[in-house]
Amino acid sequence: MTSSVWPALAALVVSAVGVLALLLAEKQWAVIAIIIAAGAAMFLARRFDWNERIRRSGAANSRKVFLAAMVLVVGAAFVMREHNFALLMLCTVMLMMVAGLGLTLQFGQAGVVNFAGAAFFGIGAYAAAVFATKTALPHLLVILAGGFFAALIGSVLVLPLLRTRGHYTALITIAFGILFKTFLEVNDALGGPQGLKVPGFVLFGHAFNDPIEIDEETEWSFYLAYAGLSLLLVAAAYAFVRRLERSWIGLAFDAVRIDETAASAFGVNVAAWKIAAFSIGNFLIGVAGAAYAMMTGFVAPTSFTFGDSLILVSIVILGGLGSALGLIPAALVVVVLPEKLQAIQEYRFLLFALLVIVILLVRPGGLLPRALRDYRVGAPR
Amino acid sequence: MDPGLLAQHVFNGLMLGVIYALVAVGFTLFFGVLDVIKFSHGDVVMLGAFTALAVSVGLTGGGVTSSPLVLAAMLVAAIASMALVGALLARLLVLPLRRAPAINVLLITLMAGTVIREGVRLFYPQGSNPKPFPRLLPGGSSELGAFTLRHDSAILFAVGVLAIVGVHLVLTRTRLGLAIRAVAQDPETASAMGIPFTATVLATFAIGSALAALAGVVNGLYYSEISFNLGLLLGAIGFSAAVIGGLGNVYGAILGGFLFAALQTIGAVALPFASAYKDVFAFAVVIVVMAIRPAGLLAERSAERV
Amino acid sequence: MTTPLLDARGLVVRFGGVTALDGLDLSVAAGETVGLIGPNGSGKTTFFNALTGFVRLAAGRAQLAGSDITGLEPRRIAAHGIARTFQRLRLLLELSVFDNLMLGQHLVLDHGPWSNLFVRRRFTAEVRRQAEAARALLAAFSPGLPARLFEPARALTMIDRRRVEICRALIRDPALLLLDEPSAGMTPDETAELMTDLLAVKAQRPALTVVIIEHDMAVIERVSDRCVVLDYGRKLAEGPYAAVAADPVVRRAYLGED
Ligand SMILES: Nc1ncnc2c1ncn2[C@@H]1O[C@H](COP(=O)(O)OP(=O)(O)O)[C@@H](O)[C@H]1O
Ligand SMILES: [Mg+2]
Repeated sequence: MTSSVWPALAALVVSAVGVLALLLAEKQWAVIAIIIAAGAAMFLARRFDWNERIRRSGAANSRKVFLAAMVLVVGAAFVMREHNFALLMLCTVMLMMVAGLGLTLQFGQAGVVNFAGAAFFGIGAYAAAVFATKTALPHLLVILAGGFFAALIGSVLVLPLLRTRGHYTALITIAFGILFKTFLEVNDALGGPQGLKVPGFVLFGHAFNDPIEIDEETEWSFYLAYAGLSLLLVAAAYAFVRRLERSWIGLAFDAVRIDETAASAFGVNVAAWKIAAFSIGNFLIGVAGAAYAMMTGFVAPTSFTFGDSLILVSIVILGGLGSALGLIPAALVVVVLPEKLQAIQEYRFLLFALLVIVILLVRPGGLLPRALRDYRVGAPR
Repeated sequence: MDPGLLAQHVFNGLMLGVIYALVAVGFTLFFGVLDVIKFSHGDVVMLGAFTALAVSVGLTGGGVTSSPLVLAAMLVAAIASMALVGALLARLLVLPLRRAPAINVLLITLMAGTVIREGVRLFYPQGSNPKPFPRLLPGGSSELGAFTLRHDSAILFAVGVLAIVGVHLVLTRTRLGLAIRAVAQDPETASAMGIPFTATVLATFAIGSALAALAGVVNGLYYSEISFNLGLLLGAIGFSAAVIGGLGNVYGAILGGFLFAALQTIGAVALPFASAYKDVFAFAVVIVVMAIRPAGLLAERSAERV
Repeated sequence: MTTPLLDARGLVVRFGGVTALDGLDLSVAAGETVGLIGPNGSGKTTFFNALTGFVRLAAGRAQLAGSDITGLEPRRIAAHGIARTFQRLRLLLELSVFDNLMLGQHLVLDHGPWSNLFVRRRFTAEVRRQAEAARALLAAFSPGLPARLFEPARALTMIDRRRVEICRALIRDPALLLLDEPSAGMTPDETAELMTDLLAVKAQRPALTVVIIEHDMAVIERVSDRCVVLDYGRKLAEGPYAAVAADPVVRRAYLGED
């Protein structure tokens, strides 16, 4: 049975318009109205059983929907071309998704817990700062170097991670996260508590930090260039993680997460797959950190605390453990809502913590629970 | 090194060790009965300290001037309310997730800790600033060469040790202790023998959290200052200590607490470059210990049953 | 005499003070079906765990088709051609039936990044081929099962889960299949049905060697060529079912007669 592409496309367009409106909304009442409208839309979708149709339509046409989503992001960025702050939020959401995808791979799929997400994000960011100031490495490679260093430093933890289980593993990453932040604070070579400045991204001679001048009157936000970069990164990371999930490799990750004993009885090299997931995940998190640092222009230890690691974990849990798709609404909620709702800005850590508690108690699958694996991407059944 | 200075470092280390041990015992007790990590434990320590502080501010503001009276009221209030908080957290967050993956319990309690921490920061008057903690113990000190023994510290140390001995006695000499050990050993058999499971679990969480409150007050009195985020580091240290000792093993947790303090002290004294690296050093050693003894120092090897 | 497929000699396994295997010798010829019986706690599961590398041997050696598998990691032993089921079911309940069967195929499947991530057309063709093979195997156990290939294993009944677990072990065509109490938790009728299917599969694969742990004596009588009785980790008796069942020592130890 082939399923029409329209339900998924319609849902996508409606969501994109909603997100765009939210990003551009300035009045508090408008923000609240949009949130209420989103809630109403979700209620209606549930009431009339649209969710299942949308899901099936999306699953059967995933390539088209993926392309449409990219086009919509480009369109939205273009609409916001003169709004610095809205574009910054859009970029942040996309880069948080890249980091979230890394964590999803580790934690949600291969079951390797990582409570030091912010530390690996920070390693990427500091690596970018150092490489961009001290070397002439092209900036695209600087970003990859950020990912590479996160994976490399992460490999120090591989041995203890492999030898321990469950809570013991969790402790190792918690200890590493605290250690990393303390290290940054006391280490002068990396700027100590003040951190480091990071040069802006330059690609083929174009400095991303320069505003884009169209003519005498019009000037587009420099974040537009970063939006392009972020979109490139998130699209690549998303396609990569989804393909991985829908392959024999994804199955091996799942087997390792669910039952190491059963997996090894059938020949799965549990240690190797854990190392693979941990390293690839850290690479993605580091890439996100490097891009973020170049966009915001500086790095400091205070952005890479244990609390920030928990925020990353919240995104993954909120979206649904192991669910790549769920990261989209989750990253939006976690990044955008507190910026837009001044009333909750001060309370955001409290509210997200409560939100995750509620999710874990009543809907452990998250906002968009992960579906059964379907190997045949886009292929007719 | 000068023996007096050495003695000073040793005593400071022991003082820290007592605080860490009080926190670690809670972690290990909870793990014993339910096989879970309640990561909000560090924040319960902090909340205990703030509860005590609020009581002292209230009483002093109300004209009570007797230090012993204020201190007694602080301790009673902090211990009683944290015991209740601990039992509530167990009832509302931990027990409902008994059948869920263990990591969910760690997550939900991490988040509960965040709620407590942010709650204090946002709702305690000027909660985001460090707060002075009243000095209620007799001042004074004895000098012995380069070694200065502050009397208040000596009292705090003694109180901490007494509390740990008290827990040991409760666990080994009382019916409740027997019940806790039975449930830790094997919940099914314990239930079959008529030991009420839920009540025992709640009692365990109450005891562990009462110890946390005591640790919070001792910590406040020792440093004369508390802040809303002290629980994060203290929780991570207590967790590390419990893990180093071997989760579920009370004596291991006590040992782990003192070991962690020793690591920090050694890190601060002996590292050539800078004492600022003491926490980096201590946590790095924890990671290495985990790599060598993946189930802690005192854990007996028990393979998973296939 | 040709070398046996499985040759275990002097296996000793200890857990603290308990000696679960106490110098056990057991060999199995290729194509044979051996029933392993013995009271609870006599070391049957431990024997499987020792063979598949999940517990450490204190002494003894095990050879499979002439190569030494003593002390290897479970995944290496699996690569030698041993597949097993577990006494307490170990299906990956949140995954589909197909995923579970493909775990059984892990050593056969190509995990290279190139074929998995980039040449998706070839990959989906491979998936289709594997799905056909999986359906065919499931159909040998129950006509209803192939249609449920892409449902979560959690949705299956107990007997279907058992069937899927056996299929997961069978799908790679192992040299040696170890079945640990496949009838646990099933009614006598369901057990009989499962054994009929198993015998049919065995009839199609004469080279398949099976060791089956079972409590139900009727099952053992029906499926095994030979039967081995364990008690306190030692071999108490060995031989055709009828002879073993008539052995007074066995009757005393196992059937509780005096
Ligand atoms: N992982 C283990 N740890 C400790 N003791 C074990 C373990 N596995 C099995 N045993 C003990 O070894 C003995 C044999 O057990 P098992 O092989 O499971 O018996 P069977 O399968 O014949 O019922 C029993 O006394 C059991 O308690
Ligand atoms: Mg058994």
